[in-house]
Amino acid sequence: MKRKLLTGNAAAAWGARLANVDYVPAFPITPQTEIIETLAGWFDEGALKGRFVTLDSEHSMVTAAASAAVTGVRVFSATSSQGLLYASEMLYAVSGYRVPWVLVNVSRGLSSPVTLEADHNDIFALRDSGFLQLHASTCQEALDMVLMAYQIAEDVRVRLPVIVNIDGFYLSFTREPVEIPDENKAREFIGEFDAHNISFRANVPLSHASAVLQGSIYSYFRYEHHLAAIQAISVFNESAEKFEKMFNRSYALIESYMADGADYVFIMIGSFATKAKEAVDMLREAGSLTGLLRLRMFRPFPEEEMKKLLKGKKAAAVIDQNLAPGKGGVIYTETAAALCNEKEAPFLISYIGGLGGRDITAEEFYEIEKEMRKAAETKKPPMARLLFSEAELEAVRKLQGIAGVEKKNEQRKN
Amino acid sequence: MSKEKIKKMRDIPFERLLASGTAMCAGCGALEALHQIYDILGKNTVFVNAAGCMTLLSVYPFTPFRGSWLYTSMASAPAAAQGIRDALDILIEKKRIKPKDNMQVVVLAGDGSSYGMGLSAASAAIERNLDFIYICYDNEGYGNTGQQYSDATPHAARTSTSKSLTGFQYYKKDIFAIWAAHKPAYAATIIGSDPLDLAKKVEKAKNMKGAKLILALSPCPTGWTFHSNETVKIGKLAVETGIWPLKEYADGKIVHTKIPRERKPVEEYLKIQGRFKHLFEPQRNDKLIAEIQNEVDKYWGHYNH
Amino acid sequence: MYRIRLHGRGGQGIKTAGRILGEALFLEKYEVQDAPRYGAERRGAPIFSYVRAGKKPINERGIILHPGLVVVADETLIEIPAAGVFQGIAENTVFFICSNESSDFWRKRLGIDSQIITLSQSEEYDTALDFHYNSSVCVGAAGRLLGVISKESLKQAIEEELSVFEKTVIEKNIEISLKAYDELSSYEGIVKRGVGISADSYRRLNWVEPPFEGADISAPAIYDSGTSELALTGLWRTLRPVVNKELCALCWHLCGSFCPDSAIYLDEDGAPQIDYEHCKGCLICVMQCPRRAISVEAEHKKTKEAKGA
Repeated sequence: MKRKLLTGNAAAAWGARLANVDYVPAFPITPQTEIIETLAGWFDEGALKGRFVTLDSEHSMVTAAASAAVTGVRVFSATSSQGLLYASEMLYAVSGYRVPWVLVNVSRGLSSPVTLEADHNDIFALRDSGFLQLHASTCQEALDMVLMAYQIAEDVRVRLPVIVNIDGFYLSFTREPVEIPDENKAREFIGEFDAHNISFRANVPLSHASAVLQGSIYSYFRYEHHLAAIQAISVFNESAEKFEKMFNRSYALIESYMADGADYVFIMIGSFATKAKEAVDMLREAGSLTGLLRLRMFRPFPEEEMKKLLKGKKAAAVIDQNLAPGKGGVIYTETAAALCNEKEAPFLISYIGGLGGRDITAEEFYEIEKEMRKAAETKKPPMARLLFSEAELEAVRKLQGIAGVEKKNEQRKN
Repeated sequence: MSKEKIKKMRDIPFERLLASGTAMCAGCGALEALHQIYDILGKNTVFVNAAGCMTLLSVYPFTPFRGSWLYTSMASAPAAAQGIRDALDILIEKKRIKPKDNMQVVVLAGDGSSYGMGLSAASAAIERNLDFIYICYDNEGYGNTGQQYSDATPHAARTSTSKSLTGFQYYKKDIFAIWAAHKPAYAATIIGSDPLDLAKKVEKAKNMKGAKLILALSPCPTGWTFHSNETVKIGKLAVETGIWPLKEYADGKIVHTKIPRERKPVEEYLKIQGRFKHLFEPQRNDKLIAEIQNEVDKYWGHYNH
Repeated sequence: MYRIRLHGRGGQGIKTAGRILGEALFLEKYEVQDAPRYGAERRGAPIFSYVRAGKKPINERGIILHPGLVVVADETLIEIPAAGVFQGIAENTVFFICSNESSDFWRKRLGIDSQIITLSQSEEYDTALDFHYNSSVCVGAAGRLLGVISKESLKQAIEEELSVFEKTVIEKNIEISLKAYDELSSYEGIVKRGVGISADSYRRLNWVEPPFEGADISAPAIYDSGTSELALTGLWRTLRPVVNKELCALCWHLCGSFCPDSAIYLDEDGAPQIDYEHCKGCLICVMQCPRRAISVEAEHKKTKEAKGA
């Protein structure tokens, strides 16, 4: 074991290296490219044995990845944002192959307008793809979640591919101290790849992913896929226990920070959750009983865990770094659904923040805490809100002036 | 000594490896070519299927294959071939499987995929000299959805999206030339109505390393509107009129494997197909027939035959 | 509500027949729903379409499970279970079969008491595709059996639905349909409107939660080879090729190579034989045999002979 400063990208690449992957099909996209460059280098110098190949697109890359997994090798790949969506047809298709592999998505906002900075609309667009989803909030977790992802994906009860999500820029290009597990120990943790019943071999017939033209058998296949995904909850817990024994780091489905005994909680996902921790510390100092719940696993959705952790809280604020146009925040919606039949459920308030890499400041967490208090006192939660200040709106107006928005409208009137 | 053993019809294996009972139309020209190809390649193949008519070769729990098959998508079958080929190579290198477990990787794609959406993935696979065979069954339209025009539709053909009296306005894309421009190990055109020419070419491809591309014109009773018993007749006419040149590309050269001594007029091929009926009825359209004939003449003129 | 199911083969105009009936009922001021049912099967495979018509907006959807009228354009389908001609029939279901046989013949043959009406098959052939205009016979017959479609509406519906075809084709279809309509005047209105499934006296369902089964069981993978042979595509056939061994030159590579469906095999004499369970009846082998050693026979004649009817 050694401790080193690594970017989130490098940490994710290390996860793949420690998993001793055989095959990496790739396609470059910002802010993920460093991952595949790092892995290509390791294949070149012989630190990894197998193949690295650049495909013509993410759609092809995902096809190659899953096809190789169907043939019986351990596969890793990485993408981001538009690349993830370009591959989305195949992501939905190959999850139904029922073979394990791991894809890292480096979250980045979606077009249009095109942006390079992080939010979670890309990964949540794939929430129903049939891939499991793990979300890291530190560079250390980027590495550890990749390792755990292989164990979960390959478990005979699951046999589904996993996406590990890390935030662009805030993790991908940010260095933090990361403990790199010992290579032999990591291999012991993961074990050898076992293709079970699905692998292409001479003299062993296998026709895979055939058409199904009847609703009943289609329902069966899809429902079994769902049931296998649900299994990943207990498999994650088993894996985390084993991980803690071997590497001394403990991971829960939902990270609960000072939430035990708290009256108010923030609910978040991804790297900005550490900012919420910072805010929680300050709020505690100021005497507020506030905590944080951070989803580490989003698919399957740890519903029972969420209900348990929210029981008896006065109010909870979901801060979604995503926006479903015409609906609102995705995590808010899913959390609300989990709570709808619960007796001691908190008031749930929805915030949209951090779109396209916009910061969420400490003061904003404090404001949110005040709104939670008020909601509990008045028993009237506020409307959903975008975290957006007066100053920001003024700045937008300035840019619109330069873009000639007003001039254009005057011309149209004349 | 050459590795090729097939010299005459009787040398062609009569295995009928591709099982019957598929949902393809009666008289399907693509299935006709495919079952001939499968007999030459043998069962130690893994087919990677792009979306198209052949999607329905295997409908759970029925499969006509004796070896392996994977369904992918319209655009990315060659990428699946890459994944499978690489995985088999890795497993052999790492001694996790034996060389005898190895298989030939074969892409099966229609013209809709090959000429259009799947071209990027195919181009990239050829460029990487992927060791695979690519088979395009070309029925000159999006057949599985009811024969809309595709990039492979010939000039003046009526399709369900080119119904006017002049049919499809543009010309068929020369995918063979596009393939050849990649300098693959091998490329060939074939047709199910000439089983010997087909068998020789597929055998050659089987014995080579690298990207081998096979383009099979596939007369389609449903999409081209003719009686299912005329599939072979129409195939033969396609060759005899010079509309479908049987040729191969290897070592930088294109060689015709069958040169019609006296090319029949194209109208013999056209007039027995419903999709060209408007060129003859209710009034003969000499201009369009001549345009089609000129294209064919121009093609063969280039080759000085 | 009238619930009508029409059975035929891909390529026989069953979808259009359903649309003509739907259109005619619509012209008679009915609320109508018509649809074909598509599967993986192609030309020649058993398919069906259905029509619902009533005086109120139609809320039922999907396949008709309890038809009041079953129309069969191709009698060779009747004995094919997969065609589902008898699915959900009740005592009062009326059958119309386009057949040269009498209704007594079919009643006896099928052992059912239902009302069966037959009319001869059309003698008119579509020369391009070699099938008869049975679907037009069916349209005319169904129109009369329902008893609520006038001749004028039927004619107008045909014109409307076949408008993309040439005038001669439309006229021929009208002629054949109206002839069938006239011939069945004594059966006018024998099809009765059906009622929906009762909510207080229906058969209870047994819902089940599928057990969790790992990918070892529940992956959509086929581990056996050549299982498509279990699909009997020979049922698609209306004409069958028959090999005359005496004329055969044993050049099996021709018919065998050309057969798209791998449905020609060699017998112990090395002579080609047709696998009738799978031969779809494309008849390429008949056209291509250099010795003309393969002839054509009509399928329905063959099955009847085989069953000794």
